[in-house]
Amino acid sequence: MHQQTSETFDRNAREALADVQLRGALRNLATTFGGRRKEAIATVEDWEGLRDRARAAKDETLAHLDKYLEQFVGNAEKAGAQIHWARDGAEACRIVLDLIRARGASRLVKSKSMATEEIHLNAALEAEGLAPVETDLGEWIIQLAHETPSHIVVPAIHKSKRQIAELFAEKVGIEPTDDVAVLTGAARRILRRSFAEAEVGISGVNFGVAETGTILILENEGNARLTTSLPRTHIAVMGIEKVIPKFTDLDVFLKLLPRSGTGQRLTAYQSLITGTKRRPEDEGPEELHLVLMDNGRSRMLSHPVTRQSLACIRCGACLNACPVYQQVGGHAYGSVYPGPIGAVITPQLSGLKQSAQLPYASSLCGACREVCPVKIDIPELLLHLRAEVTEGTAAGTAAQHGPVKSRPLERLAFGLYARAWSSPTLYLWGARVARLLQGAVVRKGRIGKVGGLLAKLAPPLAAWTEWRDAPPLAPRTFREQWREEQKR
Amino acid sequence: MFDAIRGHLAASAPHDAVRAAHHAAAAHGEDVSARDEKSAAVVFEGTAVERFRQALEAVAGRCFVVKDEAEAAEVLRQIAGQRKSQRVAVSDSPLAGRVLKLAGLPAEVLENAAVGELFDSDLGVTGAQWGVGETGTLVLESDAERHRLASLIPSAHVALLEARNVRHTLGEVLRAINERGEGGLSRAITFITGPSRTSDIELTLAIGVHGPAELYVVVIGGEGNG
Amino acid sequence: MRVSLFITCLIDQLWPSVGSSAVEVLRRAGCEVVFDERQTCCGQPAFNTGYRAEARRLARRFIEIFEEGGADYVVSPSGSCTAMAHHFHELFADDEAWRRRAEALAARTYEFGGFLVNVLKVEDVGASFKGRVTWHDACHGLRDLGLREEPRRLIRGVRGAEFVELANADSCCGFGGTFSVKYPEISVAILDNKIDAIEKAGVRAVVSGDASCLMQIGGRLTRNNSSVKTMHLAELLASRE
Repeated sequence: MHQQTSETFDRNAREALADVQLRGALRNLATTFGGRRKEAIATVEDWEGLRDRARAAKDETLAHLDKYLEQFVGNAEKAGAQIHWARDGAEACRIVLDLIRARGASRLVKSKSMATEEIHLNAALEAEGLAPVETDLGEWIIQLAHETPSHIVVPAIHKSKRQIAELFAEKVGIEPTDDVAVLTGAARRILRRSFAEAEVGISGVNFGVAETGTILILENEGNARLTTSLPRTHIAVMGIEKVIPKFTDLDVFLKLLPRSGTGQRLTAYQSLITGTKRRPEDEGPEELHLVLMDNGRSRMLSHPVTRQSLACIRCGACLNACPVYQQVGGHAYGSVYPGPIGAVITPQLSGLKQSAQLPYASSLCGACREVCPVKIDIPELLLHLRAEVTEGTAAGTAAQHGPVKSRPLERLAFGLYARAWSSPTLYLWGARVARLLQGAVVRKGRIGKVGGLLAKLAPPLAAWTEWRDAPPLAPRTFREQWREEQKR
Repeated sequence: MFDAIRGHLAASAPHDAVRAAHHAAAAHGEDVSARDEKSAAVVFEGTAVERFRQALEAVAGRCFVVKDEAEAAEVLRQIAGQRKSQRVAVSDSPLAGRVLKLAGLPAEVLENAAVGELFDSDLGVTGAQWGVGETGTLVLESDAERHRLASLIPSAHVALLEARNVRHTLGEVLRAINERGEGGLSRAITFITGPSRTSDIELTLAIGVHGPAELYVVVIGGEGNG
Repeated sequence: MRVSLFITCLIDQLWPSVGSSAVEVLRRAGCEVVFDERQTCCGQPAFNTGYRAEARRLARRFIEIFEEGGADYVVSPSGSCTAMAHHFHELFADDEAWRRRAEALAARTYEFGGFLVNVLKVEDVGASFKGRVTWHDACHGLRDLGLREEPRRLIRGVRGAEFVELANADSCCGFGGTFSVKYPEISVAILDNKIDAIEKAGVRAVVSGDASCLMQIGGRLTRNNSSVKTMHLAELLASRE
């Protein structure tokens, strides 16, 4: 398999489409999580109202992010947390590495965190000879397999239990089994040793409450609780957009996030952590380090369309609902953030040039917007980014820079189209010529697979007719029929 | 970083104004989000405790509603007996201490267990400061007891909860905690809803990954069920 | 009531019968129908591919033409082209005068089925059809314009037609404009889920409100030599079998 990056989305997708096992797993995901989500949202009184309230809380925070961050940081420090600012991923990795080094620590456990995936923290630590242990079952599986997550919530969804059993047999020496409980039990047994001796625990953050300086981490397995309770030092990496204004806002987000993500009323555990322990005999770490990371986020504040990307609470519902994700899975996107939300945040985080395909990897069906618990208008964002790709402008704003990808033929085609379609005469004559020419390809009232020279001259026609017939132009257009009717 | 944030927010201001103007003008029902996902009006006819019991059992937890601490001790004795518990780790909750004493378990009881001992315990007993009816959730606050490890590391967890602390909704509990004001917020608050679980392998539910595989909640001072 | 028809380019060139059916149904419902022959395209292909300058050019033209008609409403037998008219304002963020014109036009621009049910308050247009039919929700009609019940009510009003709900009625057919030729393999993989459900429904015709979806679905059905035919909602409502 070739190196899967965002730049090779088309190739990645074709490979994924040929992977029968993957497509079975993706069908299972769409049906199971889709169904559970529907059942779960039926258990709250006013789902639409909750979505509006959540979005309003996010909009308020983002519109005054400086103020809420200051408040959050002030309260977290007062409670004993130490704050570190990271402008980008490299800086965040360096901060974490320095903290570990300064403590002479080598035994590290990690709980699931998209922020640390985003900055490839594990790779950065491993390059320095450290071996952080992922403790979420799905993350541990992909760490053992040297792979990357293919879903925001269930990172190993692309793997079958047979593949996982073989992996465990090879890497940790258990008897192959198709019993999920046995596989899970093996992970529990093995990872307990890592927990018992861990010196530093690294986690992400789901929400940071400005009013109290509290961080909240959701999970189901208990590994995040262990990661944030047992080691002497807890390092939490959080994007600057994770802040919400009030402690009681958590009520809204805790209703939305589990229901949207896994279809649960609430995940098994939430840890709300405010600073460090207050008495020496208390449980928990002695130090809490919060690494607040920008890494491309503040740039998204500069336009209301892009700003809404920062409202994302990483529930994964848009992945489960997306017809494209359902066919190609997460790895095709070549980014730790796949699916519809990945297609809009990856280009903004890592540069549109490397991921210019992603905004086009969507049929714009809007299923993502419909399920998004914070009402992010992902199709609007996709269109905004498409305009940036072709024009370097968006939403009708004045040109700031040139196109990100110059596609001369496509540009020519759309230029001709805009010109011809602006003139009824050109439009009419163009259609007449096409009607004359189509005789060469119309058979039995349809255009079948087009090959040869014509396929080379008109790649879109070839792409269409490879699998679908195309309809012929009608002998008389509607406007011709209308004109005749008017004459009568 | 604050400069970057403020700079980008300032750049957004004219775009925000256009958007606001459009929304003000577009009062013709052009709402792009289809509002057709139905959620029911949720009315629960019973008590918060009954609601708690149903919600907890729906997520594979076990719930016992008892009259008093003596009955709670009996339930604890049964659980420990069935599980043939050898080593029981207990938090420093006075309630847990009293019930454990009443139960007189034929097992080693560890107060202030060291981490290593916790990994060798097969039952953890703690209190809980709140219960949430709508989700079957326990809320444990670190200012009230040292709860974190006894409720997490042993393979089974028994939580003792006073019926008067069970509320219908999470919102009520969050507000009650918040209303205490500064200093009223524990360093660690843990919400627990059922036993530890995962669906990471083919979305197949497996109970008991890193936390307890069994969760028993004994609600004391409720109607009692024997 | 004077209704100015916007007949999309696909319908004009490929399925003129959809246009004439729409005319017939609207007249039957008591509308005076006008058609401005200068109209061409709403610019959606350019807008959706990121060519906003080109889209803006066509949008200006569209707005001018339909402003001049002086009709009470603009009606189009296409959810996605109607939705495009509702998106025009996004092209004029820097131009308040044009934005106002775009907003004013959008406020009186309706999709055909939604117009019948929500404006004309008509659900029975006197149509009849023999056999089982099913409905495919075109994404823009459904999610941009919020039309879910309207087409179903209209189909239930057709005498003789037996309506069956498609298992995945509201999932995308995989068309997505240029997406269908930029990523044809993905587009067809999505489409095949739709085709499976249509075949399982055992219907004579699959009906939808957007010619583009019908081109996608129909193109695969004929390639598979299926006996199921595709119909636009306007054609079904004009039917007198």
